[in-house]
Amino acid sequence: MHIRGARAKLVGDIAIIGIGEVPTARLPERTPWDIVYETCVEAIRDSGLGKDEIQGVVSLVPVAQPTLANELAFGQLPERLGLKGVRDSAMVNAGGASSSNAVRLAEQWITSGVADSVLIQHVTVHSTIPVAEQIDAFARAGVDMQWEYPFGPTYNIIMGLIAARYMYETGATAEEMASVVTALRSWAEHDPHSLFYGRPPPSVEQVLGSEMINTPLHKRESNVLADGGAALVVVSAQRARELGVPAAFKLGESARYFSGTCVGRDFQQFNDGMRVTAQEAIARSGLSREDIDLWNVYIAYPLAHPLMAESLGVAPPGEGARYFAEGRMSFGGDIAWSTIGDAPGRGHTGSGVGAACLVETARQLMGRAGKRQVPDCRFAYQNSTGGSGFNNIVTIWGRGE
Amino acid sequence: MTAQPDLTKPLPEVQPWTEAFWEGTRHGRLLVQACNRCQARIFVPRKLCPECWSPDLGWIESAGRGTVFTFSTAYSMVEPRFTDELPYTIAYVNLAEGIRIMTRIVGCDPADVAIGMEVEVVWHPRGDLQLPYFRPIARDDP
Repeated sequence: MHIRGARAKLVGDIAIIGIGEVPTARLPERTPWDIVYETCVEAIRDSGLGKDEIQGVVSLVPVAQPTLANELAFGQLPERLGLKGVRDSAMVNAGGASSSNAVRLAEQWITSGVADSVLIQHVTVHSTIPVAEQIDAFARAGVDMQWEYPFGPTYNIIMGLIAARYMYETGATAEEMASVVTALRSWAEHDPHSLFYGRPPPSVEQVLGSEMINTPLHKRESNVLADGGAALVVVSAQRARELGVPAAFKLGESARYFSGTCVGRDFQQFNDGMRVTAQEAIARSGLSREDIDLWNVYIAYPLAHPLMAESLGVAPPGEGARYFAEGRMSFGGDIAWSTIGDAPGRGHTGSGVGAACLVETARQLMGRAGKRQVPDCRFAYQNSTGGSGFNNIVTIWGRGE
Repeated sequence: MTAQPDLTKPLPEVQPWTEAFWEGTRHGRLLVQACNRCQARIFVPRKLCPECWSPDLGWIESAGRGTVFTFSTAYSMVEPRFTDELPYTIAYVNLAEGIRIMTRIVGCDPADVAIGMEVEVVWHPRGDLQLPYFRPIARDDP
């Protein structure tokens, strides 16, 4: 008999003990610094630590917001918030993989003695960026300026290229692919931090009835840009246990680099990378795949989720899309999958979806996810992927019992 | 006031070691970088062979034929500088010489583009050089 988590490390080196988050929205009157105050104060209060006990601050890069990025990179946050105990402040940028890298830097500071407790935060306000700047930033990010950009690709087109090949190889239908949107948005309906909170998910017919942006991607299979922010407080695992508060302990990690150019990204290498990072991270946690209670996948586009489900062994090869169509990954389904609905559920907040997913992983392990709570959630898979998919980082988290 | 969008068609950001490739496009020659030491076919072109790190790199001329690995036809939500070209089809094409490149598929109804379709290079002027686009290879009448 398999004893659940019998060999698990259970604690690891660090733990998240506080979270703070604002609902995603398009609210131009909510400035970036307004959001920073809200999320950071909430996370620090939630951790039970005093403000002057925070010794390190790590910000995720706010994509397409160069002035804000400079303010955060060059240390304005600790001063503005009056965090008198801070010894150092830095920013990390690996696009969508910034969240996992922020955790790594916090872990390094904590285990090397630089800081006992670290505040991690992300903020993005898309709604005040002029449309031309937004389009420009997103068109150039993640593509090669010599061999790709002159032909006119976009993030949506890059996703279209991947999805077209996936559908060709697996025979997945447009209806099955559209059902991923319905599934992910079904979580958002019950998520108070989503701009779609309380709104029923679109049906498959509604998704397929929306404008074709680029084959095979419909408008409702693309993401709405939104404003948002999230913060986390990280301490050593030992400290978290001494404090005795609900916490999410980092148990294991694995990463793979794929390629900087989209066209250089071998599809098989990508699938293998997704599979092997999950296997390695789970093994390093002393767990087995059956121990994972929550697959908190972050890959931004709904059309990439079936491929992920197959790479992770959650669905058999070629059947990822069908699993979504059957409602198995939906709110109320039998597989706890992306319980904030990834970017389709939250709106796209640049590198912030990764931060929001991390907050959700902690929230689920702390048992505070409300109607979305995964019953007896002990272990969670969390990934992040940067740029247009240059890498994948997997972390496994547990509640430290 | 909203700033006017930049409508200039982007030129490839040429590097010193890729000048030969872009010079070739001016003469309708599609070149594939190859390592003279380990014979690797290289895309995207580098300053050093990514396999063996040899700086001894050269070029072979492609026959200009390949097959569509995947494609996506855009109908909207592209950069303003490309809006006048909608709809257009972006594709990854596998060249017979063993590399895969990003390109456009032209010369047919976008609805007729298919994965596995055989295509041949057709040159598209951009500034003082040319971009390699591809079109379906016309089948002989039975």
